[in-house]
Amino acid sequence: MEYSDIAMEAAKSLGADYADIRIQKSTTEMILLRNLSLKNTSTDVSEGYGIRVFKNGAWGFAHSNIFNKEQVTATVRRAFDIAQLSAQVKKGKGLSLAPERSYLASYRTPVKIDPFMVSLKEKVDLMLEVNRIMMNYEGIRQALFYLITHKDEKIFASTLGTHLDITTQFINPMVTATAVTAEDSQSRTFDDGGRATGWEWILELNLTEKAKQIAEEALIKVKADTLKEEKRRALILDPGHLGLTMHESVGHATELDRVLGWEADYAGLSFATPEKLGNYKYGSDIVNFVGDNNLNEGLATAGFDDDGVPNQRWYIIKDGILTEYGSTRDTAPQIGLEHSRGCSRATDYYNQPINRIPNLYLLPGKKELTPAQLIADTDDGVFIQGRGAYSIDQHRLNFQFGGDFFWEIKNGKLFRPLKKVLYKSCNPEFWNSCDAICDERFWRPFGVINCGKGQPNQTGRMTHGAAPARFRNIRVGGAQ
Amino acid sequence: MKAQLEAIADFVKKHVKADDYTLRIQAWNSHETRFAQNAITQHIAGENINIDLEAAFGQKTGRSSVNQADENSLSEMIKRAEEMASVNEPDPEYVESASQQEIPKVQNASQSTLELKPEQMVELIKKSIANAEKQNAIVSGMTEKHYMEMLTTTKNGFNGYYDITNFGHSMTLKKDETETKVSYSSKDYGAFNLEQDIEKLNSQSAALHDLQPFQPCRIPLIIRPGALIEFYMYMLWMMNRRQTDEGLTPFTGQLGKKCMGEKFSMLSTLTMPDLVTEPFSNEAVVAKETYWVRNGVLENLPTPRYWAKLKNLEPSDPFNIYIPGENVSEEKMMQMVPEGLIVNRFWYIRPVDMKTGEVTGMTRDGVLYFKEGKVRHAVNNLRFNEIPADTTKRILALGVSELADSAVKLPTVLVDGFNFVDSTTF
Repeated sequence: MEYSDIAMEAAKSLGADYADIRIQKSTTEMILLRNLSLKNTSTDVSEGYGIRVFKNGAWGFAHSNIFNKEQVTATVRRAFDIAQLSAQVKKGKGLSLAPERSYLASYRTPVKIDPFMVSLKEKVDLMLEVNRIMMNYEGIRQALFYLITHKDEKIFASTLGTHLDITTQFINPMVTATAVTAEDSQSRTFDDGGRATGWEWILELNLTEKAKQIAEEALIKVKADTLKEEKRRALILDPGHLGLTMHESVGHATELDRVLGWEADYAGLSFATPEKLGNYKYGSDIVNFVGDNNLNEGLATAGFDDDGVPNQRWYIIKDGILTEYGSTRDTAPQIGLEHSRGCSRATDYYNQPINRIPNLYLLPGKKELTPAQLIADTDDGVFIQGRGAYSIDQHRLNFQFGGDFFWEIKNGKLFRPLKKVLYKSCNPEFWNSCDAICDERFWRPFGVINCGKGQPNQTGRMTHGAAPARFRNIRVGGAQ
Repeated sequence: MKAQLEAIADFVKKHVKADDYTLRIQAWNSHETRFAQNAITQHIAGENINIDLEAAFGQKTGRSSVNQADENSLSEMIKRAEEMASVNEPDPEYVESASQQEIPKVQNASQSTLELKPEQMVELIKKSIANAEKQNAIVSGMTEKHYMEMLTTTKNGFNGYYDITNFGHSMTLKKDETETKVSYSSKDYGAFNLEQDIEKLNSQSAALHDLQPFQPCRIPLIIRPGALIEFYMYMLWMMNRRQTDEGLTPFTGQLGKKCMGEKFSMLSTLTMPDLVTEPFSNEAVVAKETYWVRNGVLENLPTPRYWAKLKNLEPSDPFNIYIPGENVSEEKMMQMVPEGLIVNRFWYIRPVDMKTGEVTGMTRDGVLYFKEGKVRHAVNNLRFNEIPADTTKRILALGVSELADSAVKLPTVLVDGFNFVDSTTF
């Protein structure tokens, strides 16, 4: 008898209203190279199981790393006892779970070259070469290359009869050059985030060429001008920047648990409350956001979520109007939804799943538009590439973002490089000021591998995406 | 558990073939109960272990960790770390493992925390909710208890062990449109007084009346410990000796100089019994009484072992943080300036510029406007762009230092001319 069967039988015999087990083995390989010195070359393996029991409208969750029948049974008992304790402190009848049928299925992240099978030598040789290229530039004081490869192998079983066998993996390279002068130091980073794919992506990236670009742009940036005054200007944001902007101002704002106040003590609330569904003008008419856990190479693409709900694609903002949230089996019924959107995910086996941002992206513009045309059509603005400082209030309204590389636009041309640019805006002003989005040829994904949320804190993963887009009349200025 | 950790260490030491190694074993058990909107939403319990081996052949290093303590898993871990080290490139910055050292004796574990039962934790939540319901409000928070053990051993003779307990209880009260928070985090559950925290929460909530719009400007600010901890932690994060020597931080060229305010000191100390003190760091740097900043003079910067060896310095690490206070009450602070704001907590602080040390962030959980020595009304939340080291030069007064987290003790401070740059709508 498998451990999953033992657990589900034990849960049923105790009288659980619902239970599931997630047996998970996570393998992470990290290599950190700094100035030709290998600061970390490691492989971490973590294996165990988390058991959720739902009883009388409340959850109990217990986990263990010990694999034997007695421990599995004891862990079920512990989760059951905790659920009963939780049920002493509930509102009314407590929580309910959105209905779901049972599934027997498996999912594997499509990978052509498994990065775990690529030799350490091949990886380190590439990283050293990239590091050397950047260090060869006079004025580059720090060269960093961070490579993370991660795999989760999961068995999920529930008292509904669901049995899932899911293996997901991703790879994330990040390359940074820091230039130092007597007056300043500035960094430039290549960072497309993580991607659920194999080593073939690293080969496609041509990182040795990117290293030259990154080093040269760091040297340009450290000597660049700053904006002396804050004033309203146009912003053109590239996909590597927009990924984080949408993550903070749309993704977190439309997590249903946050809307319900479940994160009030830590991550905060959301302004996008349920009475706004179907009528709130979140963005301009060309702003369409889709939740899509079927996205190819998406970090939240896993076949099913950790509630055993299949992946879906749905509009969160359609033609500028807030239409729906990302939800889970326990949050969806709270606002009368009949089904979960499959956004329940846990990071490690010892984490209770929580309501997470799905793969969430801005649909490209419908008319043909290139980034060059967009710049040519802008008289006074700033073009921002990559992500920088980012901060948003706990209701997801007011925010300030920086970036990684900046160009001032004057009369339709890239006029001069800038550094330390900051812009300030808020919801719904920002997304309603979006007046142009490049077409689908220029759409690019950006994978977030470290979205912190929850207590105890979990680092979630999801992919965003966009084509370059323009925002009018935004307050843009510089750091002190 | 200590015996189990030692048995694991014995097995690894017996089987490792590398020229050098550092073995770190961390074991913990936790019970965590989250509540929101006057009900429990999550409830988690379990134990775990992490066994981490860093192996070296000459200057070639490899590292591997597992969370299974059986002999097969440990053998696999040793094999992976050694294989990785054997095929790796030599690390020009390799430094041999730590040697035998005298480790300070500390008491970080509390019996009262160890004995705390899940049922008692749920009772604390029930009382917190009852308080909220009595005033037609909602409360969210977390009640948690942790026990952690750490054992580090090296080829060169370093052998260290310590254990830590932690108890935490937080409450965010939302009443009408206002929110405020009180939290407790300490090694000692026995020192926790729920009634006192509820009284403080209710008092903070009651003060948030008559919310009025406030335009961002430079203004004197009273920063309570729950806010100050986050603000100065970002400054500490930038205080790295190597990065400073390499010209990457605001502290380049400032060591030994008075680059902060006279009233500001910050140290890691072995002398505060209520502060958790990790007796050695992840790099096996032993805790030693260290002033980072003394009366505005930057005396020391945390220094990793490699950089210490290269530059012939003592390695150092901030094992806890203590910012000495004075004895100025909030009431007295309000009388020292014509007008100002009081902030309970900051939120989402992020570095804007590593070289200048500028950070941005928001206020959270209640901002009060005071004038002529008295609180007048609440105001909306505000965004700031500030350089924490610069703000130390504008400290006008400090309160009594108090525990803001199990390993951080600091006072309320009054800072002149705090730079608010934007506001939000609530």
